[in-house]
Amino acid sequence: MERKFDIELNKLNERLVLMSQLIQKQVSMTLEALVECDVPLSKQVVANDSEIDDLDVKIDKLCQRIFALQQPVASDLRFIMSALKINNDLERMGDLSVFIAKRVSTVSDFKEIINELKINELTEKVDKIVKDTCMIIETRRTVFVKDIFDQAQVIKEESRLISSRMIEQMMEKSDVILVATNLVQILGQIERMAAYSKNIAESVYFIVEGKIVKHTQFL
Amino acid sequence: MKEIKIKIKDLTLHYGQKLALNNICLEIPDRRVTALIGPSGCGKSTFLRTLNRMNDLIPSARISGEVLIDELNIYDRNIDVVNLRKRVGMVFQKSNPFSKSIYENVAYGPRINGINERKVLDEIVETSLKRAAIWNEVKDRLRDSALGLSGGQQQRLCIARTLSVNPDVILMDEPASALDPLSTSKIEELIHQLKEQYTIVIVTHNMQQAARVSDYTAFFYLGELIEFGKTKTIFTNPTIKQTEDYITGRFG
Repeated sequence: MERKFDIELNKLNERLVLMSQLIQKQVSMTLEALVECDVPLSKQVVANDSEIDDLDVKIDKLCQRIFALQQPVASDLRFIMSALKINNDLERMGDLSVFIAKRVSTVSDFKEIINELKINELTEKVDKIVKDTCMIIETRRTVFVKDIFDQAQVIKEESRLISSRMIEQMMEKSDVILVATNLVQILGQIERMAAYSKNIAESVYFIVEGKIVKHTQFL
Repeated sequence: MKEIKIKIKDLTLHYGQKLALNNICLEIPDRRVTALIGPSGCGKSTFLRTLNRMNDLIPSARISGEVLIDELNIYDRNIDVVNLRKRVGMVFQKSNPFSKSIYENVAYGPRINGINERKVLDEIVETSLKRAAIWNEVKDRLRDSALGLSGGQQQRLCIARTLSVNPDVILMDEPASALDPLSTSKIEELIHQLKEQYTIVIVTHNMQQAARVSDYTAFFYLGELIEFGKTKTIFTNPTIKQTEDYITGRFG
C-alpha cells in the first residue's frame, strides 16, 4: 500500500512539473509575441498569469502541509525545500513573461529594429534553456546542470551586447529612444529568466546530490 | 570532532547462538549526545547495555572486543562493575523510582557509597534535583512518596537519582517514550543542558527526537552499525542508502 506521505510527495512533484510546463509555454508565447510583434498573443500571456498564480499558492500550501504533518528528512526534506524555491523561481519567470508581454505593444511597430538586432537568436536560446530547465525538474538528470549554467552565461553576455548596441543607437538617433529604452528593459528581463533557470538547476542538483552549488565556482 | 569518551573496538555479542552485535567499531564523543536509532531488534539497546555491562546479567550473553572509557577497557577482568555503573549511569524507558520519599530516592546512591552526613546529603539531593530540572516542583515535598509524582516527574527524579552518584556517562533507553509531549519536551530540554557536563548516549524509536536532541547519530540494523555521523548530516544527507530508507520511513 502506498503511504500517505508518498502520495503527498507525488502530488507535489506532479504540481511542480505542471507549473514548469505552464511556465515553459508562457515564456515561449512571450518570446514569440516579442519577435513576431504579435500584440494579441502578448495579451494572451497576460491573461494566462492568474492560472500560474493559483498553482503557485497551491504548491506553497502543499509544501507547508507536508512540513507540518510529515516532518520530512533527508532526500524528502531536500525535495520539499527545493520545491518551494523552484516554485518561487518559476512563478517569477511567469511574472517576467507578463512584464515583457505588456511591453510588446510599445515595440511592435519597430520590427525592423528587432530583426536587425537579431533578438530572435537570443530568444531561441532562452526558449531552449527554459525547456531544458523544465526537463531537469521532471527527470532530475543533473548531468544537464552544467550545460544550463553555460547557456545562462551565454544569454547574459548576448543580451548585454544587444543592450549596449541599443544604447549606441539611442545616442545616434533620438527617434528610437523610446523603443530602445523599452527593448533594453525587456532584454534585462530576458537575462533574468536565464538566471532563474540557473537557480532552478542549482536546486535540482541539491535535491539529487545533497550539495549546495549556488555562490560557488561549480564544476 | 570533540574528544572521544568511549571507544568501542570490534565489539561482538551473542545471545546463545544468536549474533546480536557484529563487530561494532565506534567512537563516542565526550560531552555530546549520541543517539542510537534503528528498527526493533537491531541491537541498539543491547549495544547501549554493553557500555555499563548490563548484559553481564544475562547468562547466555557472550561478548568479545573492547569498550574503552577514558582509554580503560571496561571488560578487563579487574574492573569493578559496581564502580563502573556509578560512572556510567542509566535511565530506563519506564520510570522506576523506589517506593520511598523523593529525598530518599536521590540520597540512596550516595548513602550506599558511604555518605551519611546530613548536610552533604542535603546538598547532593538539591544539586541533583536542580540538574534534573525538577527541584522547583518538589522542593516543598521532599518527604512525600516518589510514587505520587506524575510520570514525567518520576522520570526526571530517576535522572536526578542517576546524577546523584556523579557519573561521567549517562545511558538513556527510550527515556521519553512513555511520556506526554510536554514531559517529553522537558526531558529533551534537560538532555540539552546535561550534555555540558555529561556524555549522553540515548536509544530512541522517535526519529524526530533523535534529530532534536543529539549531536551524533548511529544507525544500527541487524546487529551491524550501518552509519555513524553528525546528526545534521544523517538527517539531511546520509551517505548510506539503508540509513536514508530507514529515516525516511521507506524501510524494507
